[in-house]
Amino acid sequence: MKHKDLFRVCLQNLLRHKARTLLTVMGVVLGCCSVIIMISIGIGMKRSQEQALSMMGDLTVINVYRTGKSKKAAKLNAKAMAAIKAIPGVQAATPKLTADQLPINVYAGKGRRYHCIYTSVVGLEPGAAEQMGYRLIEGKWNNSGQDHVLAGKDFAFLFEDTKRPSDRNMRDPWEKDAEPYFDIMKTPLTLEIESGKEDGKKQTVELTVDGRMKEDYSKGMETSMGLVFRLDDLQRIIEAQQKLAGKKPDRRQGWENAIVKAETIRQVAEIETQIKKMGFSTSSMESIRRPMEQEARQKQLMLGCLGAISLFVAALGITNTMIMSISERTREIGVMKALGCHVRDVRRLFLLEAGAIGLAGGITGMGVSFLISALMNLAAAAGIGGGFSSGGFDGADLFFSPDMGGLSTAVSIIPWWLALSAVLFSTLIGVGAGYYPARRAVNIPALEAIKHD
Amino acid sequence: MKQPRPIIQVRRLRKIYCMGDEKVTALNGVSLDILQGEICCIFGTSGSGKSTLLNQLAGMEKPTSGEVRIRGVRVSRLDEEELAAFRQRSIGFIFQSYNLLPSMTAVENVAMPLMFRGIPKKEREETAARMLRQVGLGHRLNHYPGQMSGGQQQRAGIARAFAAQPEVIFADEPTGNLDSRTTREIMEMITGFARQLHQTIVLVTHDPEMEQYADRVIRLVDGTIISNRVR
Repeated sequence: MKHKDLFRVCLQNLLRHKARTLLTVMGVVLGCCSVIIMISIGIGMKRSQEQALSMMGDLTVINVYRTGKSKKAAKLNAKAMAAIKAIPGVQAATPKLTADQLPINVYAGKGRRYHCIYTSVVGLEPGAAEQMGYRLIEGKWNNSGQDHVLAGKDFAFLFEDTKRPSDRNMRDPWEKDAEPYFDIMKTPLTLEIESGKEDGKKQTVELTVDGRMKEDYSKGMETSMGLVFRLDDLQRIIEAQQKLAGKKPDRRQGWENAIVKAETIRQVAEIETQIKKMGFSTSSMESIRRPMEQEARQKQLMLGCLGAISLFVAALGITNTMIMSISERTREIGVMKALGCHVRDVRRLFLLEAGAIGLAGGITGMGVSFLISALMNLAAAAGIGGGFSSGGFDGADLFFSPDMGGLSTAVSIIPWWLALSAVLFSTLIGVGAGYYPARRAVNIPALEAIKHD
Repeated sequence: MKQPRPIIQVRRLRKIYCMGDEKVTALNGVSLDILQGEICCIFGTSGSGKSTLLNQLAGMEKPTSGEVRIRGVRVSRLDEEELAAFRQRSIGFIFQSYNLLPSMTAVENVAMPLMFRGIPKKEREETAARMLRQVGLGHRLNHYPGQMSGGQQQRAGIARAFAAQPEVIFADEPTGNLDSRTTREIMEMITGFARQLHQTIVLVTHDPEMEQYADRVIRLVDGTIISNRVR
């Protein structure tokens, strides 16, 4: 028999008992829906978990610390940094030089009118800030030259106006519509270091602010109220201060802290182990993310199983329908065989009928699932009351994860692979459910055609 | 005129059914030849073994011993696949209860054996429509069996049997469910086609009226042939 004819006969048979076919298909629709919806909820859960985590900090960033100050402790020096950079999966690594103890003053404005007495300063390798997930709200990265820096979002608020009375000489960044005294982007800064002793030895460095960073506390205070230097610049400034103070700088000690960026989330754990083997301690979101991910996976599996049970019930429905149909059509099958229908065509016909029920149920189920998913997401969005979502819903947000900005309100996400594999799975289940009935049909003898009843 | 050769050869055919512990001999060493183009009537009362003989001839059941050859092919030795191919090529059926598929129209039913052969829809439905017109159902091409009378259904059945132009057509009490006027109509149609197409027909019946249409008459009693004569 030609395939086209098989399909035609199959369709004829299915349409003969419309109600029965429809009910069986509906069983599959329910099963398929429950699988898709359950898994989509699992995916939605996982997605919002990841979003929550990434709001807490960049998931691919690992912080590396020196374990102690003793001589035996592994040193986080240039050699160690090179070794870390060589670990597979490491996208970038930079020492993070912090100098919170450094006695500095920063001046701005004509005649040093504005004065800042303390700030947190950080040194990163040029270009590393961008890779490590620092973000700019204006300006550009400080790659262009010596003593170019990035300012924290509210760094300008740290300055006091020396021409005002001491109780009203600062602006509060938390006040509504607060503006600092000057535009940090357009004002050259002067950094002054001193010996820290009473001898009054001082040295100044002229700074150019290239960019203003987005506030991110998972990175550090420097993003809001501090300055990010190029590593070598800060190193030089610190050494200059040590000289002023009469100490001898020692580069061999290396740094206290480094940041490492992994290419993907999956590689974070492995990279951490490698770094720990080198004798450093590490911290990343991995220690939080891992158990959360495991839990999410377990939940997803459980939900998926629940859904699958109803799909299997639907499969029994298909088998039942097919067996019923075959016992009704015993004589017909006999006639077909008597007229020369091949056994393989009989088998194919019944597998096709069962598969068609599965396919129809799968496709309808997919459609219905998208609808249910959209409704669920709408309901969830309404429930939250737009508190998290930045604006109105646009179409794509209903099904797919919204932009990276705010928290996603989607409780159910149906990726294309889930929809597709659900349809495929339903069809396979259908064909599988038709296997036993098809075998029964094949075993019906042609003799049935001539039996008189 | 050259002597027609036998198209069906049956040799010492035995069929024993086991009904629980009891053994029932349905056919007891039947041998016969049916020639190309003959209309052969097998008469017998209920239980005479005539239906069993038909089943053996058409390869529906395996004999206990003996053999059936159709055009030299040992029907009893064929497996399921070969049998299907053999039926497509060589055998047509006319059933007592017509056995049209209720989900298909008259044309589709008549075209069905051709569909099993893999003949494209357009071609086979043209043949089927031509056959249906010849049996006088040109106005019922797209009717379903449920919308036709018994006589009309059997005419469609005849069209189906002849459409594939098999070597042998087996007819099992083809008029068993019809009144006497329709019976005559149907029989004249079958024999008319057979003569026209030089088609071999094996007809099984208990109705003595049928004798007048046959070239060869075989009488079966208790699984044995008691007479085999050519009219």
